[in-house]
Amino acid sequence: MTAVTDHTLSQSMIDVGWLATVTIHGLILFLLGWTLIIRRLRVSTDRRRQQMMTVWRPILAQSVIEAPDTLPPIHPRDRVLFLYVWNHLQESIKGESSDELCAVIRRTGMDRVVRHYLAKGTLRQQLLAIVTLGHLKDPSVWPHLVDLAHDANAFRSLEAARALVRIDTPRAIPVLVPLISQRADWSPLKVLAILQGAGDEHVAHALGEAAVQADPLIAARLLRFLASTRSHRALPLIRPLLDRQPLHEDVLAGCLSLFGQCSDPRDLPIVRQYSAHPTWFIRVQAATALGKMGVEEDSAILIGLLNDVHWWVRYRAAEALSVLPTMTDEKLSLLVQTLPPGEERHILTPFVAKRFEESLPRATGLSAA
Amino acid sequence: MNTAPHPDKPTLLMAEDEEDTASLLKFLLERAGYRIVHAPDGLQAQQLIDTMAPPSLVLLDIMLPHMSGLQLLPYIRNKPDWQRVPIIMLTADSSEHDIQQALATGANDYMVKPFNPRELTARLSRFLKIAA
Repeated sequence: MTAVTDHTLSQSMIDVGWLATVTIHGLILFLLGWTLIIRRLRVSTDRRRQQMMTVWRPILAQSVIEAPDTLPPIHPRDRVLFLYVWNHLQESIKGESSDELCAVIRRTGMDRVVRHYLAKGTLRQQLLAIVTLGHLKDPSVWPHLVDLAHDANAFRSLEAARALVRIDTPRAIPVLVPLISQRADWSPLKVLAILQGAGDEHVAHALGEAAVQADPLIAARLLRFLASTRSHRALPLIRPLLDRQPLHEDVLAGCLSLFGQCSDPRDLPIVRQYSAHPTWFIRVQAATALGKMGVEEDSAILIGLLNDVHWWVRYRAAEALSVLPTMTDEKLSLLVQTLPPGEERHILTPFVAKRFEESLPRATGLSAA
Repeated sequence: MNTAPHPDKPTLLMAEDEEDTASLLKFLLERAGYRIVHAPDGLQAQQLIDTMAPPSLVLLDIMLPHMSGLQLLPYIRNKPDWQRVPIIMLTADSSEHDIQQALATGANDYMVKPFNPRELTARLSRFLKIAA
């Protein structure tokens, strides 16, 4: 009885082993076949793409001056690739050549395709469509782009905002500025790129007005963007912010950053005043601003800050001393020698080395020229 | 690649890695009457500098693979035959520090991408007239 049971058990194990072997081999063959199919598809896609680029790259390059009389058709499978190349070229050039490239899109019927992508495409197609329509400056899609600028997806909304600015900057600013205030998920670098594209004559005043009316934390965010524009236009709006009571420290730090970037001598006494503020990050901003706009006498304030209790203040003060507009290589060398050995000298030394390293190729270049 | 000087056309060494931009520049500059020698990265540009006769002008992208335009600049300026060749830098953004460094190291001018094709060809012709 036991022998029969053992025999049945071992037969079952053989069957299971056999089944497992066949299954594993089957899976291996399947994966091998699948890999070969994918590889073949990849090679064929690459070849098709290469052919498409070989045909279209010279045509698009020529179209920057004047498009040829006849344009080859674009296969539906190549539309996305075509739009990538077209947009890349659009972003490499400026001036009237951009209009010539737009004519290619219209003549090939791709403008209808991008409108379709905008309405019913995947996220990738929709993003491509938004960027393309921005370059085409197509006002018919304005309401749709305004809706997309309010979309929860940060990529989609940012690209829509950028397209609106490209289509009609003055009209886009009232849409854009409230969005910059609200959207903490927008990449600051992307926002800066949009603001640069819009031009400070359009954005500075609107950002300044919004900062004056906004809650302190949003105002601080807007002031940081405003500082990056380096525009003097908003300064008359922003200066009265400092008279507000209570004055939020983030807003004060944003104002000092803006004053430093704009370097208007009228703001120098205010910046000096805040170099002794009890909050460390206000002193950091004051030191940085002094480095950009300070005069000879401000080196004494900055030297004093080299002894600050907070490391960041000492660091920014040292950096500011090395880039102070009135500072020369000789004065800086003398200053390092006169400082007592210790933290003050220690923190200034790398900035001195950096300054001399930068002035070295300048001297070499001048001698070569 | 034929790098021998052409008797009629001014030769221009172009170091640019982005294929689309290189293709556009090649079209624009050939149309403007230049013969283009193209290097798609910094190392190939360095090899060309070692082997070819000094061109009429160098168009150098700052951001190049393997060796940047800023590293190539002193290399070019240290070659006796190449010291007077005008060099125009191409930069993807208006990074003041890079531009200052390029001009201090021996570049004659720079253009920021995106560029106006007509402005680019006009600037190149101006340098060629000065060099002539």
